[in-house]
Amino acid sequence: MKARILIAVTAAVGAAAVLLLGGALRTSQGAAGAPAAVQPTLPAVHGTEAEVRKQQAAVRTDPTDVRALTALGFAYEQRMRETADPTYLTKADGVLHRALKLQPSSADAVVGLGSLALSRHQFGRAVVLGRRAQRLAPGAGLPFGIAGDGLLELGRYRAAFKSFTDMVHAEPGSSAYARISYARELIGNRTGAEAAMRLALESSQGQAEPSAWARTELGKLLFGSGHARAAERQYRIALLELPGYPQALDSLARAEAALGHRQRAVRLATRAVETVPLPQFVTTLADLLQADGRRAEARQEYALIAVVERLLRANGVRSDLEIAQFYIDHGIRLPHALALARRARAERPSILGDDVLGWALTRNGHCAEGLRWAKHSLRLGTRDATMFFHRGMAERCAGHTQAARAWFDRALALNPHFSPIWSPVARRYS
Amino acid sequence: MRRRLLLGGVALTAVALGLVATLVRGPGPDAANAASHREAPLISLDPAADITDFFMFRSYEPGQENKVVLIMNTQPGEEPSAGPNYFNFDPSVKYSFGIDNNGDGKSDISIDFQFRNEIRGVVDALGLPLSYVGNVPPGSGSVIPPITRLDGKGSEGLGLRQRFQVSMTGGSTLGDEKTLGRDLIAVPSNVGPRTMPNYASLRSQGVYNLGNGVRVFAGQAEDPFYIDLGGVFDTLNFRRPAPLLSDAEDANDNVNPFGIDMLSGFNVQTIAIEMPISMLTGAFQTLGGYAYTSRPNLSIRSHWSHWHHNQTTFGHDGRYVQVQRLANPLINEVIIGTKDKDYWNSVPPWEEGQFLDYYLNPRLALALQLVFGAPAATSNRTDLVNALLKYGPGDPNNSDLLRLNTTVAPVPLAQQKRLTVLAGDNAGWPNGRRPRDDVTDIAVRLVGGPTYIALKAGDGVNKDDAPLSTSFPFLSLPSDGRNRSFPHVNP
Repeated sequence: MKARILIAVTAAVGAAAVLLLGGALRTSQGAAGAPAAVQPTLPAVHGTEAEVRKQQAAVRTDPTDVRALTALGFAYEQRMRETADPTYLTKADGVLHRALKLQPSSADAVVGLGSLALSRHQFGRAVVLGRRAQRLAPGAGLPFGIAGDGLLELGRYRAAFKSFTDMVHAEPGSSAYARISYARELIGNRTGAEAAMRLALESSQGQAEPSAWARTELGKLLFGSGHARAAERQYRIALLELPGYPQALDSLARAEAALGHRQRAVRLATRAVETVPLPQFVTTLADLLQADGRRAEARQEYALIAVVERLLRANGVRSDLEIAQFYIDHGIRLPHALALARRARAERPSILGDDVLGWALTRNGHCAEGLRWAKHSLRLGTRDATMFFHRGMAERCAGHTQAARAWFDRALALNPHFSPIWSPVARRYS
Repeated sequence: MRRRLLLGGVALTAVALGLVATLVRGPGPDAANAASHREAPLISLDPAADITDFFMFRSYEPGQENKVVLIMNTQPGEEPSAGPNYFNFDPSVKYSFGIDNNGDGKSDISIDFQFRNEIRGVVDALGLPLSYVGNVPPGSGSVIPPITRLDGKGSEGLGLRQRFQVSMTGGSTLGDEKTLGRDLIAVPSNVGPRTMPNYASLRSQGVYNLGNGVRVFAGQAEDPFYIDLGGVFDTLNFRRPAPLLSDAEDANDNVNPFGIDMLSGFNVQTIAIEMPISMLTGAFQTLGGYAYTSRPNLSIRSHWSHWHHNQTTFGHDGRYVQVQRLANPLINEVIIGTKDKDYWNSVPPWEEGQFLDYYLNPRLALALQLVFGAPAATSNRTDLVNALLKYGPGDPNNSDLLRLNTTVAPVPLAQQKRLTVLAGDNAGWPNGRRPRDDVTDIAVRLVGGPTYIALKAGDGVNKDDAPLSTSFPFLSLPSDGRNRSFPHVNP
């Protein structure tokens, strides 16, 4: 039995390595022990690989070509999006720094590094770079977006919202509207968030990935308000327009599960993970497997997420918060998860950080402290079923049965399918 | 044009074909967002609000000479075969023309176009993942007939149809907003001969007569701009050393002596309106015009209850923010410095005074001098300021408007000179601008100064590959998706 698990884990680890390291290792897939079924089928977006090759050639011809170096940096970051291979971040870092050294006034290079800092969850650095880019290119929208994203994760909401508003004034468009949508969602205005995301969607027409992304986000907003069927429709349109788009596959998996199609849900989630092994996709798959009682298979995903996390960390990405939430949700390494959550909250004092820390404390039996953070996490008036549920669990842990029930009811009223694992628990306790 | 490639000061125009055609100067790359559930796209451009060209001229269509025509093209580099969605106007964008009719440099009249989508017909009924479908099975015409009409029978295959409204504020409307036309239909992208066997007919159905001498059109067209894009971008690397064009070549508007028109084969979205001169002018006979796009202002705390799906208000407060403007060609690309390109787009034309240094000391002139070694007029260019920003040397205001003296008689298409005023044709740029005008060559010579006029400097592209039309809306039919070709790739 033990041996079999070990083999399974090795296979999963191999798969992760192959997926993360991309084409270079794909030929040695068999040797790495990956199941033959693992064939990443990435959506053909923009011909990013061709762009990478083109800019690499330009840089070879002229190593001081700032424009080519910057373009290469952006192309690497886009490849990271498409493949989840974090080594692209390291590559992007290198060329963008070279560009900036050659031309310290390059707003493009600064924005590229700001975007990189966000990907690596270095939020303070992103704010500094965003502000620097604002000075170098007044009137450009993106520098405001980068600074705002960083401020948001640092819990500095007033400044973040101002940054997003400035972004709309500087450069109204899908990027700015999507951020307004998120801000509205944070303050509990879900209808307004939906409206803004529809506008973002409309403003990104004719561009495959931005459009599919906005549509998927719109679907998530609908799903979060309990409209699983409407969400499913948006995900399917996104997949029609950009076949194989992993973000839509992942979200569709959750929607299918909510609609009672468990097998289909697991298949979809598996496809998303096989395409791009992002921690959140692995989480979806593990959640669905666990909810379906397939614990052994779920445990393979635990191993996968550990590998993903190590690879991310090796390339400068901090993902403590996501990993902590994963461990807590699946009841593994709880004390370790609490330590992770504390560290993550310190680096990322956003309501997200508050929520995960509160949840970690509650699950570790530190009820009073857990409740304090759960309350703190809802300070903006956010209407999120998972956060409501965490609050309910904290209240219950603290012995406030009545209050707990009210929070469970609120969570289920907002979205009865907020989590494959926890929705049934909320129903049981409410 | 928001076709920004960053090439020092000599960036001209670029089709956003590559992935990273524009970086910060555009909506550009989006942050791989912080919150793990919000990994926003890295690259997000805004082609729908990207104005490629603005034309304003007295109509040279026989019998229509007392009209002014305004044309705005958007969405650079539409690859004709880009199905299944092809190209559309953006319902969240307001497309506008601004007109100054009293010579103070400020806009007095605005003409606005707004679109909405209809999902309809068999495409909707059958849930097909296609915007347009027709003539299925081939030749039968029975199951799904080819698209031959914009409405009614023959329009069944138009799965996505765009309707638009035109309104005018100011001028003869005395400040009130007046709807000139509503529920008009935009002509869809030219998909190919099976789906749309007679595209010319669809185009003509899309020309609406709104009464009072006003006609409008919205739809796809072949990009009328012609330029050796690659040559110009490669630091003015024209395909022949100076002196550039011979006298004979320069005088021949119908042959491209050495340049390659890299925009041939691509389409744009076009919006055109023709109206009587008297509807726009007052006592002052010269009009100053520009095109601009804007998008809704959106605040975080707002009255989202106003949201109506078809009105596309999306809970915004009714105010719009300018995304881009265009009057004289090539200003943003050639004149304005890299640092200020975005900012320039966000301010109205009559605040141009703050950019005066760029006009007085044009970088393009410096670049020409460096590349060709011939002296260019690089400083104190009050002549450029007068030509581009003023109604005349005595005008105290600086406003980047395309100026059209409506008392200058139009010249029939066949007699138009690509070099306009340099060739004795005063009805072209910088007196307004017609699709035929070779603004690249004129700009190089005007900015370079007398030496470059004598050199007959130019990119060696003297004409567009598709023939212009002598009647409204004047642009060539778009290349169709099935039979598209790029002559510069496969001559």
